[in-house]
Amino acid sequence: MNKQFLKAGMLGLLVAGWLSQAAMAQSDPTGKRRVTSTYAITNATVFKAPGDPGSKATILIKDGVILGVGSSLSLPKEAKIIAGDSLYVYPGFIDGAGNMGITKPKDVERPKDFVSSNPADEIAGITPWRSASDAYAAVSTQIDDWRKAGFTLSQVVPDGGMLPGKTALVLLGDGKANNFLKLNAALAANYRSSRGMYPATLAGVMAKFRDIYQNTTLVLEHERLFTFTSGVKRPQATPTQTAMMPVVQKQLPVLFAAGSELEIRRALALQKELGFKMILTGLENYESVIGAIKSSGTPVLIKLQVPDDKSIKAQKAEGVTEATKAQYARVKESYDKALKQAAQLEKAGILFGFSTVDAKAADVQKTLKAMMDNGLSQKAAFAALTTNPAAILGVSGLVGTIEKGKLANLVLTTDTLFKEETQIKHVIADGYVFDYEIKKKAVKAETSAKPETASNAVQVEGVWEYTSETPAGSSGGEITLKRENGALGGTITYDDPTGSGKASAPIKNASLTGKTISFEFDVAAGGMSLTVTISGEINGKNMDGSLSVPQMGSFPVKATLSSPSQAN
Amino acid sequence: MKKHIYLIAAFLGLGVGISQAQVQKGSVLIKNATVLTVTKGNLESSDVLVQNGIIIQLGKNLTAPAGVNTIDASGKYLMPGIIDAHSHVGLDVVNEASAPITSEIRMKDVVNPTDMGIYRALAGGVTVSHAMHGSANVVGGQNATLKHRWGSMDPADIIMQDAPRTIKFALGENPTRVHGRGNGIQPRSRMGVEAVIRNGFNEAIQYKKAWETYQLAKNQKGNTTPPPAYSERLQTLADILDGKIIIHCHSYRADEIYMLINVIKDFNIKKVVFQHTNEGFKVAPEIAEYTMGASVFADWWAYKMEVYYSTAFNAAILQKNGALTSINSDSAELIRHLYHEAAKTQRYGGLTDEEALAMITINPAKQLGIEDKVGSIEVGKQADLVIFEGHPLSSYAVPQMTFVDGVKYFDIKKDNNDQRQWVAATEMVEPIFLRANEEAHRCMQDVDAYFEAFQGAFLKEKH
Repeated sequence: MNKQFLKAGMLGLLVAGWLSQAAMAQSDPTGKRRVTSTYAITNATVFKAPGDPGSKATILIKDGVILGVGSSLSLPKEAKIIAGDSLYVYPGFIDGAGNMGITKPKDVERPKDFVSSNPADEIAGITPWRSASDAYAAVSTQIDDWRKAGFTLSQVVPDGGMLPGKTALVLLGDGKANNFLKLNAALAANYRSSRGMYPATLAGVMAKFRDIYQNTTLVLEHERLFTFTSGVKRPQATPTQTAMMPVVQKQLPVLFAAGSELEIRRALALQKELGFKMILTGLENYESVIGAIKSSGTPVLIKLQVPDDKSIKAQKAEGVTEATKAQYARVKESYDKALKQAAQLEKAGILFGFSTVDAKAADVQKTLKAMMDNGLSQKAAFAALTTNPAAILGVSGLVGTIEKGKLANLVLTTDTLFKEETQIKHVIADGYVFDYEIKKKAVKAETSAKPETASNAVQVEGVWEYTSETPAGSSGGEITLKRENGALGGTITYDDPTGSGKASAPIKNASLTGKTISFEFDVAAGGMSLTVTISGEINGKNMDGSLSVPQMGSFPVKATLSSPSQAN
Repeated sequence: MKKHIYLIAAFLGLGVGISQAQVQKGSVLIKNATVLTVTKGNLESSDVLVQNGIIIQLGKNLTAPAGVNTIDASGKYLMPGIIDAHSHVGLDVVNEASAPITSEIRMKDVVNPTDMGIYRALAGGVTVSHAMHGSANVVGGQNATLKHRWGSMDPADIIMQDAPRTIKFALGENPTRVHGRGNGIQPRSRMGVEAVIRNGFNEAIQYKKAWETYQLAKNQKGNTTPPPAYSERLQTLADILDGKIIIHCHSYRADEIYMLINVIKDFNIKKVVFQHTNEGFKVAPEIAEYTMGASVFADWWAYKMEVYYSTAFNAAILQKNGALTSINSDSAELIRHLYHEAAKTQRYGGLTDEEALAMITINPAKQLGIEDKVGSIEVGKQADLVIFEGHPLSSYAVPQMTFVDGVKYFDIKKDNNDQRQWVAATEMVEPIFLRANEEAHRCMQDVDAYFEAFQGAFLKEKH
């Protein structure tokens, strides 16, 4: 390192920095303010972009910006060094469309003279003037979870009806900072109808979308006439129309949520009819519609999840009829096809990224592996996490690769990405460094080689009393576990979400590997069913772990074995 | 139109390996059948040659051009594909029950080509169905005429693109129950129903005039007239007034049928077909003179107060009075044996074979405005055909093969246990139990959840 240069060249900068720091200095009673905003990751293996074979380099960042990437950078004294010798650095992942940190706005109260056949837009879920930024809280467990999985930027989508509002690009950096990279990035749209009023069905939503679009076009024409001609009646654009104008003028894309093949085709047909810019999001089943997506040139954000294999696992090898076996084969075929979809998008040359909506942060690695085991290339997976969503969201100049001048969004791993044993050690988002504990994985061969009964040493059967901490407060109940014919099962009670008292549910997919127990159960709430996963480590009579709820995140859970079964 | 060829599921077992954005057209020679042309009499032991989806020759001893398959139909009957003028098969949504007039709703937006009902209809020889909006509203949505091209995943492929536009109207108890009693708005009574229709048309006249004024003013120098608001709802009503759309009106009682006849006379509308029309026999001459006829059930009534005064002779009485008459299903079950339903007009009314078959072929084709394309076996028409074992009006008739545009979509010999087009990757396979679905009639689908409070009191009865 050229210390001479450092001393001479950086002196002025240092002094200035010291002076301004001194001028701003205040006591920090929390003790949480970081010492520096300058970091250097030294001598790490850096993968600047998809396709980069990786090379040793040092990365210098300051105030959330990458100041340089190279082997001969001079590092300022205030730079906190992160020794990268054994680390691998990737651009921070980008969530094409997510709902982390987003709260649902309160329902608007219906006026006394409410007419269900012609409700006010706001009541009918038509609120394109709203912005996700108003419903976003930068501190939430979901954000923590996704950041831990490597995500540094998300396009957050507001919750609501058919046109809930505009999306915002947020950096998953410090919770206290203003994290908005771009407001009004896209107009969110979906097929959600309004209960008990117009539009009450998918058919109504399609018609209403056309109506809004066409009338916005006309009000713009009216405004032009009013601007250039005197004596014209004053145009009176509604808030809906005003908010739709950039869509009609093709300046703002519509982020259309369409999960199934039919939903995708319907969105494509509507887009073709009206001509707006569109990004499709939330794609789940799209195998037969890839050709239509390709020819429309629409970029897509697929769900960062693969179908669960519960139904495949539930298929019985014996004691079933030929007809049932044929049905099994159909499901298996669908399942295999679903896993290959992402690879087919790559093959078709469609620009695609991921959406974290409905996905579980803890499953990212597993999901990506499933996609890659089924033909998705590493390069394409890497691009779908970084450069593709950057391009789709129109922020390629700021994020997606590791380059001088780009935002300091980085993922630091213990080995190359996509390897099963690779873990994320640090995530740098907006220049803020987040450290994660590296777990030493137990030697798997030993535990898995033995049959499950070998874990008899761990007392699992009996009644466990558990408590969990969620944003809604503390809750708890009893977990009853027992082994029948060698399979672990039982029931769990929990606070009934629909009212007071406890509800009970059977435990599914329970497994005990070493000291780690994991199982699932279904919670019915508001006509929906959520699958909750609990996993934790058992030490004596205590269990420490987490409870994860789809779309909400994971929360700590503790349990104690209050009455162990004797039969064990 | 761009062509995009992509593979669809090869597991369909229907020989449809490749699908295109443009619909498939087939070529086939069907030999030695008793051909029931419906419009041109019966041809004994005759052949029908289809090329590229069109019937090009009828006669004896025809030879297949190179590459065209021959099917021997000796001892079998060949009839035109059955047409159902009232169905809700292949729709994801039936009722947008939230307003008395919803003419902006397009059923084409909610067509689902993977609905198993389509395949079952094919197995009953039905090649075209009229996928209608439900009867919750006075003016419902615009319907879709479907061609049962089973196997396509694209709704556009099963929509009969060259069929004229049609729209659903509904009179009587359903709209008054949903909007009047259910929601406290007009219409509360049959008088209210008439008022809603008349007000709608009058508003449409104003709407049309406003746009005509604007179009004229727009290009004038110094124009100060701004564009009027857009309303597909009113535009559609204006299109009805201009004769561009055929009304298909749900009705039961003679008084309400006669009411609508008076309304259309006042607004100079010619294209109206009455649906259900259980009391049509009381106003048969009027229906014959002023409308495109009636599409009725063979023998189905008494499921609510307004449907008590009925007779199985209804179709025959209408027909003898010169009203264009068809028999429909309005049901995913009845659609599977419409040929039985048509045969009932012989038991109740003594219609001839040709008259009875016309009730499910050329007559509904006329009511849908597609009689120049389908509904009979004639040179130049689209090759929608069904091969029957036994005469189709016999109790023992069983459809063997069903063709749409010359492409075979049903073959009883290749009818697999599992004909689903799409299976969810997460489907839990459970034992199958057979049970009768008494709620299979979908005229009031999607309404229940909408007016939940009244569900118990009023929504037991359907249609």
